[in-house]
Amino acid sequence: MPRASSKRKSSAPQNPPAVKSSNARSGKAKAKEIENFFDKYANGGIIDSPDGIVTLCKDLELEYTDVRILMLAWYLKAVKLGYFTQDEWETGLKTLQVNNLSKLKKAISELEKEVRTPPNFADFYSFAFRYHLTEEKQKNIDIETICELLNLVLGPQFRRQVDLLIDYLKVQSNYKVINLDQWLGIFRFCNEISFPDLENYDETQAWPLILDNFVDWLRENHR
Amino acid sequence: MSNQKKRNFQIEAFKHRVVVDPKYAEKTWKILEHAIHEIYNHNASGLSFEELYRNAYNMVLHKFGEKLYSGLVSTMTLHLKEISKSIEAAQGGSFLEELNRKWNDHNKALQMIRDILMYMDRTYIPSTHKTPVHELGLNLWRDNIVRSNKIQTRLLNTLLELVHRERTGEVINRGLMRNIIKMLMDLGPSVYQEDFEKPFLEVSAEFYKVESQKFIECCDCGEYLKKAERRLNEEMERVTHYLDAKSEAKITNVVEKEMIANHMPRLVHMDNSGLVNMLLDDKYEDLGRMYNLFRRVPSGLLTIREVMTSHLRETGKQLVTDPERLKDPVEFVQRLLDEKDKYDNIISSAFNNDKTFQNALNSSFEYFINLNPRSPEFISLFVDDKLRKGLKGVSEEDVETILDKVMMLFRYLQEKDVFEKYYKQHLAKRLLSGKTVSDDAERSLIVKLKTECGYQFTSKLEGMFTDMKTSQDTMHGFYASHPELGDSRTLVVQVLTTGSWPTQPSVTCNLPAEMSALCEKFRSYYLGTHTGRRLSWQTNMGSADIKATFGKGQKHELNVSTYQMCVLMLFNNADRLSYREIEQATEIPASDLKRCLQSLACVRGKNVLRKEPMSKDIGEDDAFFVNDKFTSKFYKVKIGTVVAQKESEPEKQETRQRVEEDRKPQIEAAIVRIMKSRRVLDHNNIIAEVTKQLQSRFLANPTEIKKRIESLIERDFLERDNVDRKLYRYLA
Repeated sequence: MPRASSKRKSSAPQNPPAVKSSNARSGKAKAKEIENFFDKYANGGIIDSPDGIVTLCKDLELEYTDVRILMLAWYLKAVKLGYFTQDEWETGLKTLQVNNLSKLKKAISELEKEVRTPPNFADFYSFAFRYHLTEEKQKNIDIETICELLNLVLGPQFRRQVDLLIDYLKVQSNYKVINLDQWLGIFRFCNEISFPDLENYDETQAWPLILDNFVDWLRENHR
Repeated sequence: MSNQKKRNFQIEAFKHRVVVDPKYAEKTWKILEHAIHEIYNHNASGLSFEELYRNAYNMVLHKFGEKLYSGLVSTMTLHLKEISKSIEAAQGGSFLEELNRKWNDHNKALQMIRDILMYMDRTYIPSTHKTPVHELGLNLWRDNIVRSNKIQTRLLNTLLELVHRERTGEVINRGLMRNIIKMLMDLGPSVYQEDFEKPFLEVSAEFYKVESQKFIECCDCGEYLKKAERRLNEEMERVTHYLDAKSEAKITNVVEKEMIANHMPRLVHMDNSGLVNMLLDDKYEDLGRMYNLFRRVPSGLLTIREVMTSHLRETGKQLVTDPERLKDPVEFVQRLLDEKDKYDNIISSAFNNDKTFQNALNSSFEYFINLNPRSPEFISLFVDDKLRKGLKGVSEEDVETILDKVMMLFRYLQEKDVFEKYYKQHLAKRLLSGKTVSDDAERSLIVKLKTECGYQFTSKLEGMFTDMKTSQDTMHGFYASHPELGDSRTLVVQVLTTGSWPTQPSVTCNLPAEMSALCEKFRSYYLGTHTGRRLSWQTNMGSADIKATFGKGQKHELNVSTYQMCVLMLFNNADRLSYREIEQATEIPASDLKRCLQSLACVRGKNVLRKEPMSKDIGEDDAFFVNDKFTSKFYKVKIGTVVAQKESEPEKQETRQRVEEDRKPQIEAAIVRIMKSRRVLDHNNIIAEVTKQLQSRFLANPTEIKKRIESLIERDFLERDNVDRKLYRYLA
């Protein structure tokens, strides 16, 4: 799968540097900078892994698996896992008012705060799932990936729940994949149910079945 | 008056005369007073009614009503006091008699006095709102006699004593009692109630409390109830003879409370004689008595019903979980039917066909029949047995009765779809082997199932019958168009429509050469007339009759399954065949082949083949020979293995799994139907609605329903509401 890695830098021919230096404040110039920035990592009009994104991550001094990359993807409204299109990049960075690496670095740490606010986080959480549906018409994600995602996305905020849930998902055999409804259910579960006592969990309240089973398992094994 | 009537008639003012005589009132009163004395002294015959009436009339007219009235009161009181003394003086038994006699006297006197004083009664008394004469007389009697110190208590005690004596078996003077009681009643309802009824009820309660305690220590339940019934009847009879009719309800209440209500639990649960024993021994009379007595007290019937229900449930539970019983399904079901009959009889003979008891019976049966998950299978096997042989020679009416009873059990089943599956399998076997006792009985049962469960339940079953009929016609057509086959019909084909018959996986099997040509002929014939269809031989469902000649020339006709036929025909061309050779030649799957060979070689009386070694199990290297020494009493020997049997464990699992699989789409269909019409619905309501819709086929598991909902969400038929997670929305 990994391509022959040739770290090609710029392949953008046409734009004369002169435009960049003169009117840096103008929108058009800014856009140009963003485009240039894009081209640093792009490969035929898109940034893709492992070439582009890996490099981008390195430059940002972030791990490829860092949750902040995912947040960036959310912010850019990226559609395909592992790819940033030129449109996505340019629109996103423009909104961020970022046109170079150092600004991007700064923006990303700001971004993290912003994402963690409740309305954004819910949206981000949902995005995280949908972003990982790689095939067309795919509706489910395998358990292993789910575990990683949970750890990444919810781990910091709900460490205990996530750890136990991951344990459970690995030992149970009823479900080999998780769908969006169940994914969203997990989030609501973490938010609404008191932990670890599970006092207010009511099985008649239309929780996804996998969570009913999780609660039963918890009650049996972790009292 | 005057004798000179013919003279000038002068009318003088009336008042003159009265005014003239100031002592008129006193004189007149004295006359009347004297009259009253005489009346009380039984000397009334010498009095002139007319004169006395006139005197009274005059007194009232001249405004001396007051004097008259008060005179009456004091005179009467005087006499009553004397009477009182004479009554008090009476000894023993004559006390009541004296009282009665004096009462009668008083009434007669009172009547006369009232008649004399009628004018006062009608004019003076109403205007002054005083008590009318008759009533006055009664009140005076009441106050001076009945409620006098010396009489009141003695009277009550005497009466109660008599009642008590009667209760202990003595005969008393009922007429006298009646009169005395009537006296009390006449004196006013409060007199009767306060002076007699209330203490009577209290004493009775005490009496029955003691008696019931005594009985319950020494009697068994049936005897006790008899005694209680008798006492109840006695009291009712007592009331009709000498008490106020209104007392009946009150005294029966007392008896019911003391003898029945207070001892209900102990009676019902009495060892060796309580309700449960009565039920077990079909003691209709005792049960009927208990029913009639208990219905009179609050919660009486409820108590009986509860005990009956819990007993029935316990018995039923044991019945269906007893491993001994489970060995014979037909016996199992028969036992259930017997139990139902028993209780139907009890309810009709002893419990007055009480509907609440019927309901309790039904709910109990429903409870325990479903405790055993094999009940649907067993009921189907019972029906199978009946339709194969059990109903042979039975009249049409009786057939209907038996089938109706089976339907009753069927109604109790929660998993009707499991029954359907088994019924289909068993019906298939019956139809294909031609082993049904009566086509009418078969069809009758289908009709009953259709009435109970709707067209869908039975449409496939009916399809099976249709296929059988159509196949007959097809066979006619086949042989008609192949005259070269002659008259002997060696091949009989039933063409089964795939959807209607129980699904069988298709298996390999090589038909013997003698057969395959004929089979091919049929295939081409059929496909010639039915283009676009596909035929596949179901070699695991057929049967064959083979004529066999054994070593000593003994001839037999063997009725075997298709597999067995294939195996046996091989021996026309070989004396000895190994397992492997047979397997290769027939291509029958291993497990089926082994079973088939076992049935041909290892069963005593049916061992047309001989196996070396003689072990029960079939080994890969075993060798088979025709058993030349085979004998049987009968010319026709049945070796086929196509009878419906209780399933083995793995078969059971498989059927259960198929049923579960079939349920999934039904649940989904129900969910979609409901959501389509309701558009938005919350979780608990969906579960309830779905369960209700599917109830006639099986009891839906809420967890399973939830799984189906989630599956439908995944497939975008439904979605959860964004705000309220418990709501589901239909996605068109």
